[in-house]
Amino acid sequence: MSTMDELTSVFQQVFDDDELIVTRTTSAADVDGWDSLTHVSLMLVIEKRFGIRFKSAQVASLKNVGELADLIETLPRK
Amino acid sequence: MTSPVATLLAYARTNHPRSVVGIEEARGLDPERFDAYANLLLGWAMQVLGDRAIARTVDAFVEFTTDVNMAQGRYEASGSYEHKSYRECYEAVYADKGAMDDYLWGVYLTNFLWVHHLDLSAFFETRFVAKLPAKAALIEIAPGHGGWGLLALHRRSDARLDGFDISPSSIEIARALATAAGVSDRARYELRDALDLTSHPPGVADACICNFLVEHLEEPDKLFEVIHHVLAPGGKAFVSGALTAAQVDHIFELRRESELVMLAERHGMRVLETLSVSPQRTLPRARFLPRSMSLIVQKRTREDW
Repeated sequence: MSTMDELTSVFQQVFDDDELIVTRTTSAADVDGWDSLTHVSLMLVIEKRFGIRFKSAQVASLKNVGELADLIETLPRK
Repeated sequence: MTSPVATLLAYARTNHPRSVVGIEEARGLDPERFDAYANLLLGWAMQVLGDRAIARTVDAFVEFTTDVNMAQGRYEASGSYEHKSYRECYEAVYADKGAMDDYLWGVYLTNFLWVHHLDLSAFFETRFVAKLPAKAALIEIAPGHGGWGLLALHRRSDARLDGFDISPSSIEIARALATAAGVSDRARYELRDALDLTSHPPGVADACICNFLVEHLEEPDKLFEVIHHVLAPGGKAFVSGALTAAQVDHIFELRRESELVMLAERHGMRVLETLSVSPQRTLPRARFLPRSMSLIVQKRTREDW
């Protein structure tokens, strides 16, 4: 499964929406309920799914799903 | 001219849209109070940081709040705080001056951008600062950014303050904000481990401020020994702590409000008033409710009171 496919699966789980499809340009403005708390829930699920660990500064500044996917690719997996 | 709070809101909407819900939640609870605190604290920050003040402080706030929420999520999963010792926190946070500066500016904005801390700010001002004796000598233990003590000096032009903090970043920022607030002639900050203040002359403070230090300590009893030592008989202290609220440098886990009350009572203080507050929103399916609690205590002069 590609990183984007994995991310779509995580977004569907966190936002409880099986129809939700994310692309590289998807941002908080495109997803209802993507606020700072949901963002953290999202990041924690992604950490577990990908076996990675984010630094807060990295996840606080993410602008869209593309930046998130790129960040995931740079992090070492446990 | 655009007010500091209007500039902050515009900056957050453009650059941190995910954080706007929480910010508007805090402002919506009491817009007048929010704007008063925001314009005061941001006004001081703008004098210190200049044109970049809003961007610098809001970016720092968002990063700090993200850090807190990530730590809370990990705490939910593990059931305990990630770090257990000052040494671990020193290596993770305190040793990096740039990170410490950002940390302190981020915390500075929580005094009004976190809706529950806005309540604590009002509690501090109306129930503690307003009742200080005339010409009060204040000691602030671990002032961090200095905002709490400076608010007291701003409201009470007859008071003076000595602040002690182990962090060079804290001393630098608190001094700069004191100058911005126009109270530098009444605020003195010294780089010193506040837990060493048991060697300070005893009973010299009419009042003491110590906000959000206790959860950073391996032995919180020592803090209350210090507060008791520096307070004059009958002197009052405003002490705050975090309960089941994780943060990268929180090491002492307080679970119930009574634990803070008992710490104060065990060290010769009578608890006069308390306020325990929590955020309006928490992580989904949270088992821990992150709380911030403030106590107004008085040094006992007799066995029980």
